[in-house]
Amino acid sequence: MDNNWEPKILAFLCNWCSYAGADLAGTSRIQYPPNIRVIRVPCSGRINPLFILKALQSGIDGVLVSGCHPGDCHYISGNYIGRRKSATLKRFLEYLGIEEGRVQFSWVSAAEGGKFSQVVDEVIQDIKKLGPLKRLVKEQF
Amino acid sequence: MKLKLDKKDFDNFLQSLTDGYDLYAPVQLAEGVSVFKKIDQPGEVNLTQLLPQKPAKDIFFPQSEVMFRYEKVGNQNRMTSMEEVKKERILFGARPCDIEAISILEKVFVGEEYTDVYFLEKRKKTTIIGLGCNEPLSTCFCSSAGGDPFLRAGSDLFFIDLGEAYFVELLTEKGMAFRKNKFFQEADSRNLTLVKELEEKAFEKVGYSIPVEGIEKRLGLMVESSFWDRVHEKCMGCRICTYLCPTCHCFDIVDEGDPHRGQRVRNWDSCLSALYSLETSGHNPRPTCQERTRQRLMHKFYYFPKNFNRVACVGCGRCILYCPVHFDIRQVILWTSARRRRRFQWEVTR
Amino acid sequence: MIQQKIREKAKELLSKKTVDLIIGFSEWTLPLRTTPIFIRTPEGAESLTWNSFCENNLATYIHKFSRFKIGIVVKGCDARSITALALEKRFKPGQLFLIGVPCQRMVDRRKVKRAVKGEILQAREEGDLIHVKGDGFEVSLKREDFLYSSCEACTHRTPINTDVLLGDPVEESPLAESHAEAKAFEKMSPEERWRFFEKETSRCIRCYACREVCPMCYCTECFVDSSRPKWMEKSLDPSDLQFYHIVRAYHQTGRCTGCGACERACPMDIRLTYLTQKLNRDVRELYGFETGVDAEIPPPLSTFDPEDQQEFIK
Repeated sequence: MDNNWEPKILAFLCNWCSYAGADLAGTSRIQYPPNIRVIRVPCSGRINPLFILKALQSGIDGVLVSGCHPGDCHYISGNYIGRRKSATLKRFLEYLGIEEGRVQFSWVSAAEGGKFSQVVDEVIQDIKKLGPLKRLVKEQF
Repeated sequence: MKLKLDKKDFDNFLQSLTDGYDLYAPVQLAEGVSVFKKIDQPGEVNLTQLLPQKPAKDIFFPQSEVMFRYEKVGNQNRMTSMEEVKKERILFGARPCDIEAISILEKVFVGEEYTDVYFLEKRKKTTIIGLGCNEPLSTCFCSSAGGDPFLRAGSDLFFIDLGEAYFVELLTEKGMAFRKNKFFQEADSRNLTLVKELEEKAFEKVGYSIPVEGIEKRLGLMVESSFWDRVHEKCMGCRICTYLCPTCHCFDIVDEGDPHRGQRVRNWDSCLSALYSLETSGHNPRPTCQERTRQRLMHKFYYFPKNFNRVACVGCGRCILYCPVHFDIRQVILWTSARRRRRFQWEVTR
Repeated sequence: MIQQKIREKAKELLSKKTVDLIIGFSEWTLPLRTTPIFIRTPEGAESLTWNSFCENNLATYIHKFSRFKIGIVVKGCDARSITALALEKRFKPGQLFLIGVPCQRMVDRRKVKRAVKGEILQAREEGDLIHVKGDGFEVSLKREDFLYSSCEACTHRTPINTDVLLGDPVEESPLAESHAEAKAFEKMSPEERWRFFEKETSRCIRCYACREVCPMCYCTECFVDSSRPKWMEKSLDPSDLQFYHIVRAYHQTGRCTGCGACERACPMDIRLTYLTQKLNRDVRELYGFETGVDAEIPPPLSTFDPEDQQEFIK
């Protein structure tokens, strides 16, 4: 394995909590590795499972989905709906053989800059251990 | 030229061809599932199924084919066309129905004014070794559709399984190029007698009971008939019949990629899909299954014969075997015959 | 006997004009098969048949015949599909008359074909035996040894929520036997599971028969055909084949009744029920939901419980 390989990770962050939390980590100058690319969504419940699958198919090594804590969703119940989708999708992907830890989920509030960088750090470490994604990846022509 | 090939020499025979040719033959993917595929070892050939699911058209008109690739290098746009076939090919083990279907496809893809280079390149560079059907299935009706289980037309070499050996006939110039192959021997009179017996037995089994002949005249009078209101009922518009049909040839061309790199791909498509005839305005001239089923049957048995003097059906029976709801095209053909029309009225409008 | 009851019921419904159309099964040209049949007059009811080859899920036709009042012959799985479709408001109340038939479990014709050498030309059911005949052979097989795996896993053979039930309710198999395929699959390592899934989907020819026969797949634009956004290409790239099957199965979360119609329709013999079995097992374990049993409980992914399980979330 190429020791210089750095995982590429996509982070779907909900606008009101997790994205703000990531922003706080930035303004607080908390360091975390640069492997994540952030996509801001209005709510974790907006995540279409196809986003996660398309990310994996494109060669992204790992996906993080992060939303508001239960009870704090800006849209009242979006994160609850997202929670059910996340649970069933995660179990299904692991059942098929996509390694456990490739797709991860977290609740990060707007005040938890520290937690955000911690979560990102953990995810990156997990993906580094798993190596580059080989399953489901589409070979480019 | 009438020769034979002992079965014990079969693997060596195929191996001897691999230097000069890419070999394509039926390969088993799972029990009861075969397709025509390029083989590297003679052992991969599997003839347990009379008809592989995917017909031989896949070799000349692949389900998914890259037409050209493009790449932006600096300021230059580079395009690479993909129709060239670098090595000569041999198709082994296609049945007469599938081979007859290739000549039907030729009418579409190789015209006087326009030629499909992708099809033509493959066709020109392929030697076809046909294989006769000693045991046609009960769903085969090739004889009714203008063919027969031992039809030689379209094959360059023709093999017939005699048990211990294959009977080999060299039919065309491409076929005669093999006359010096060291594994072929002269066929003797016993072989020839056995061939005749097998042919007679197979002809009798297939019979000639489906009134395909003259169907274009009958259908010509039925375009607006209420007949079509009932025929389509159980069809659910999956594409199995069109994809497994040796003569169906609708396709869709799509571009894959981005402005910097990509390719243009041709994929099989099916007139039974609702999207097939959907226009950009949102109008769909074939909005329901009724119109689409009618279109498929009319194309096969009316429009195509009108244009090309041959029905676009070779009687292989795959559509009957694999339809999930047991649509039987033979019944539809029977119903168009005037005698049966009354029976149809009773059977179907009940 | 059940066949006679089906015919009588159909005749009655059509004579009284309770329905415009009856959808049931009928014998047709091939052995080991039946075909869906659409009857509009009482005389036509004589063509209805009932045997162990009635393998289609007729619920899928309610989308096609939505303008009519329909009477449908339903097995256990089909009836649950109808309830699931009712939840999704796919038909008007009172539009359907469900003729429930307790299911003796259907015979897997491919299993039967593999058990004999040569083409089967005739098949006849007699009690718990299937007699098959071909050119030069005649074999009697025990019906119980040749059932569809989705039928072997079934715990709802007696249809529920029907307008009439023609026959006595069947004793259901214990719950432990359902989801057997998924349980066996889970015993493999992740590597083995992916190899199996990869190998199965590599045969796919994108005919979409699995999608068309499924009563729950009724989207006017399937994700496959979406061009903005374009989720996937239309070729036979292995990654796209895997993508299609993963997403189609996932779209059945909390909706699939395990009828097996998808697997039965596939011309390339791709195993499919093990995918949705896992999803069905998860929604039962996590949310106590089972498809098509209760017409009042909303589908699991359209609702929530504040106390839902979330140990997997950091």
